[in-house]
Amino acid sequence: MLVMGAPINLNHPGHYVHWGVIQISVANLVVISVMVVLFVLAMLLPFPKGRNRR
Amino acid sequence: MTTGVTKWAGRTREYDLVKEFVVALVVVSVLTVALAAVFSSPDEKQITISTWSRGAPNDFVLTAATELDGTSGTATYGAPYNHTPDAAQKIGPVSLQHIAGVTHPIDTVADFVVGPLTGVPADAALAAALAQWQGAAAGQQQKWASGYDDALSKATDNDPAQVKSGDYGPVPVMLTRLLTMAQSGGLDGALLAQKQFFATDYTKPLLFIADGSYLEDRARAQHLGGDQWGMMNETGNYPGQAWLWLYTFWYQVKPFSTSGNADALVWGLMALLSLALVLVPFIPGVRSIPRWVPIHRLIWRDYYRGIRT
Repeated sequence: MLVMGAPINLNHPGHYVHWGVIQISVANLVVISVMVVLFVLAMLLPFPKGRNRR
Repeated sequence: MTTGVTKWAGRTREYDLVKEFVVALVVVSVLTVALAAVFSSPDEKQITISTWSRGAPNDFVLTAATELDGTSGTATYGAPYNHTPDAAQKIGPVSLQHIAGVTHPIDTVADFVVGPLTGVPADAALAAALAQWQGAAAGQQQKWASGYDDALSKATDNDPAQVKSGDYGPVPVMLTRLLTMAQSGGLDGALLAQKQFFATDYTKPLLFIADGSYLEDRARAQHLGGDQWGMMNETGNYPGQAWLWLYTFWYQVKPFSTSGNADALVWGLMALLSLALVLVPFIPGVRSIPRWVPIHRLIWRDYYRGIRT
């Protein structure tokens, strides 16, 4: 049976960033960075223009 | 009737909550399927007693010796597995671990070693060893088991073949047979045997495996150790539970990193901080942060620009 593999295989030894007591995986860092970027975008992007009524 | 409530006199805006919910649901569903297709999921092989005893037989026998002389992690854990005095973690005078009592009693000698071995058929040497063990007084059993555990710890690479000769009674035969049983997969089955048809209670095999150093070594190699921020990590290059960063942070700093009571202390601290989060509107100073850091004014800038002009 042919089993399709994922195009990007992450089942390799992880990469970690050490900074004093802080130790974080690059994967977690990427996810946190994406969340921060989304948060900033959510603040800065204008709301879609709907029908305003007074 | 006067309610003291003033009607909003400013601008209003139509807002379709159902539409937003549906859009969010569709976007998240599509993203989930797409990301799963591209990255798949962690694919670590399960660690069983069989894989452990074949991968690290000396560690398995040494661990089994500690189960037999009552010095293993499980044997000395306290509630919910046994009544080991002073084993429980506390917050001040409150022993959280003892509140629910011993709900899952485990006798490591009977459950992990002697019990499974009595199920091995047609082995005269083992039957004689078990008869010798069961016929001996508790003090003698402890002497044999402790003596063998001690000698095995001192042997080169904890190799049973390198153990100095001594009076260990039936212990060497019992542990050799237990190793054979474990390597064949029989011990996994024996520890999973339970009343219900489907075996879902992995407590015993997991505790036995966790008492050895094989599982911990594998976990540490994957940065899953408690002092490696392991709570928020995943195997391989996958992102983990990043939202547990604060919970795992406390384990990295003193006094928690050096305390044998760390689990209870960190749990208590996080419960306190969670309560503080719930009570933010009532905490002077903290509740004023939105006034000092007016992010809402950035989000609703059109409105605030409107009321200025």
